[in-house]
Amino acid sequence: MRATRRGTLRSPVAYLFVLPALLIFLLFSIGPTVYTFALSFFKWNKLNPALSTYIGLQNYETVFTGQGDPSFWSTVGISLYFVVGMVVVGTAAGLVIALLLQRGSRLLSAVRTMVFLPHVTPLVATSLVWVWIFNPQFGLANLVVHATGHANIDWLGDSDWAMPAVLVYSLWHELGFVSIVFLGGLTTVSGELSEAAKLDGANAWQEFWYVTFPQLRPVLALVLLVESVTSLQAFTQFFVMTGGGPGYATATLGFQLYQQAFVFSNTGYAAALAVVLFLVTAALSILQLRLQGGGFPSFRSLLLRPRQLRKARTT
Amino acid sequence: MNRTRWMATAAAAAVAALALAGCSGGSGSDSDSKSTSAPTLDPDKKVTITFLEAMASGSLKTELEKITKEFEEDNPNITVELQAQPDYNTLKTKIDAAVSAGNAPTIAQVYGEWAAAYADAQVLEPLTAYAADNPSATDGLYKGIKNSLYIDKTLYMWPFNASAVAMFYNPEMLKAAGQDVPTTWSEFAKVAKAVSKDGVVALPMDPGSSSGPAGGTTVFELIAEAYGTPVFADDGTPQLDSKAAVKALNYLVDLKKAGALQTGTNYPGETALGAEKGAFDISTTTSVYYDQEAVGDKFEMGIAPVPGADDGTRINQINGTNVAMFSGATDDQKAAAWKYMQFLTEAETQSEWAQATGYLPVNPATLKLDDMKDYIEKNPYVTFASEDLADSSALPPYAWVQDGLGDLGAALQSALAGNATPEEALKSAQEKAEKAMAADQ
Repeated sequence: MRATRRGTLRSPVAYLFVLPALLIFLLFSIGPTVYTFALSFFKWNKLNPALSTYIGLQNYETVFTGQGDPSFWSTVGISLYFVVGMVVVGTAAGLVIALLLQRGSRLLSAVRTMVFLPHVTPLVATSLVWVWIFNPQFGLANLVVHATGHANIDWLGDSDWAMPAVLVYSLWHELGFVSIVFLGGLTTVSGELSEAAKLDGANAWQEFWYVTFPQLRPVLALVLLVESVTSLQAFTQFFVMTGGGPGYATATLGFQLYQQAFVFSNTGYAAALAVVLFLVTAALSILQLRLQGGGFPSFRSLLLRPRQLRKARTT
Repeated sequence: MNRTRWMATAAAAAVAALALAGCSGGSGSDSDSKSTSAPTLDPDKKVTITFLEAMASGSLKTELEKITKEFEEDNPNITVELQAQPDYNTLKTKIDAAVSAGNAPTIAQVYGEWAAAYADAQVLEPLTAYAADNPSATDGLYKGIKNSLYIDKTLYMWPFNASAVAMFYNPEMLKAAGQDVPTTWSEFAKVAKAVSKDGVVALPMDPGSSSGPAGGTTVFELIAEAYGTPVFADDGTPQLDSKAAVKALNYLVDLKKAGALQTGTNYPGETALGAEKGAFDISTTTSVYYDQEAVGDKFEMGIAPVPGADDGTRINQINGTNVAMFSGATDDQKAAAWKYMQFLTEAETQSEWAQATGYLPVNPATLKLDDMKDYIEKNPYVTFASEDLADSSALPPYAWVQDGLGDLGAALQSALAGNATPEEALKSAQEKAEKAMAADQ
């Protein structure tokens, strides 16, 4: 494998093939990342870089001593609230929906499409729709609340309800994706093993927990990783639905990054926040992959798995 | 070279490059910004200027296009490229991005605090020399409007779309509750509580957020000033936790507790007024068309002056934006842009603009035109709104005011949501605003 890789890299033609992708990657990913790292050492004047001053690690000091407004640590806490909500509830609900929809029928296919549909809708447009759903005076959400005999809730204007409201919207938008990934994973699960478990007297829960779920581990790792990273970087719904408020109740790290860079023009400080977010995301990804036994499933591994299982069965 | 060393080298190179960039000439900074004489327009030379603005919908868009076309017909060698942005946040982002890229528009709509940041960054063209050629144009403006154009005694802006705050209301609701139109904030509280029943909330408003102010922020600013202290002093010093400010926020919190105030986003006042679930929409005069559209034929909407201080003093605020010119433009563009800016404030242009859009004329001369007199007869609110405009001032043009207004929006949200007392919320906002001021100075 190593020899093949080295041999491929020695070929000038191979370099030509990868060059366009490499250039795009350098220009739009690596370049801006390095630039952001560099900006974080400056009090940067984005309107006139000539007026920028090098301040060393001062922006990082502001970040870690919590001197920013709002403090970095409060934005981390709010981000974690959102990430945990999305990852735990999103993953569990996505798996349940996938299990319910895994059997093939026309009706279930239609339901799968309906579940997936929100994921392909634009975040800005649907966030605006949900702002109206959560409207305290005219919203559908309060119609339901009112019908159950409770007082109206100021969903997006109350600090206690704003984040749950954004979570409900975000879960509505993301569940389709999680369910489809799990459904894909369930198609690779061995039916024979489940049958064998049933013959051995396993009930439905035992069959799921001891046979199906372990086989979904690589898919679970993928879902956890993708959901963690996208939740950490979530921005649009906070921008449209709450503007980080009320107060700073939904001011996540990602949202603050935007605020500081583009609203308050604290570009250097925002760059330091971006670097920290980058490192947190990278660390979280590595940690999750390690905890999952390094099993980041590639499409190749998902395709190979049924073949390996068939091979195991024939031997 | 291993990966770690490669990354370290790349980062060091980027820092060095940025440091060099920081020491060399930046975008838009040039000697023109210190020029003492205005460039002259060559009438035979073709020139194109760009105008980054936020008149992107309805009559605002069509009217700006119409008057611009009229200007181009009068000045066939000047082409004005209108670059409309959907809202003011997007407009600011676009201006910032264009200036950062060294590709600033010739002119743009700006709020005072934006202009202050651009002036600090040395990318704005001072207009003092331009205006010196025609002092009557400046002297003919309302005093408050004229004052709002200066940053540290240098003329940096020229007026365009000015408005004052007015109170739009449902007269039938007031009549049914046996209430008169309130003229002071004390009366307003009494009326608001009286009409808030059967699903009606008297005053739905957007308090703003940490991202920036909204209509409700202005309502708070007016109440604080009516109680004796504006939220920003003339020199930009934040006064967010003054006794008057705390009293004003307590006033709003009390209304909320009484079910007479509801927070929301996306112009909740006009939506609720139109749905007959709100009795008042306190907003700028430009809302007249949107409120009227929301109300339709359901009832005849009333328009009254915004409530004032308890001693009867009317307190209002100049809203809207001015136009600023960027120093990176060529002399031909600057001369052409100045001609266009002056055209925008001519009495005839202002009359046409005001009648089509609900903005108020920036000079009293416009009100004396015959067609404007006819318009005022049909729209009496223009008279009191213009009087308010003449006696009011805009928020002081300092870069940190932008941060302070975001802090204030967040404080209003917190207090109205019951997560902090008005004193706590405003004290925190004041500390943040003071920090922003110190950082900018």
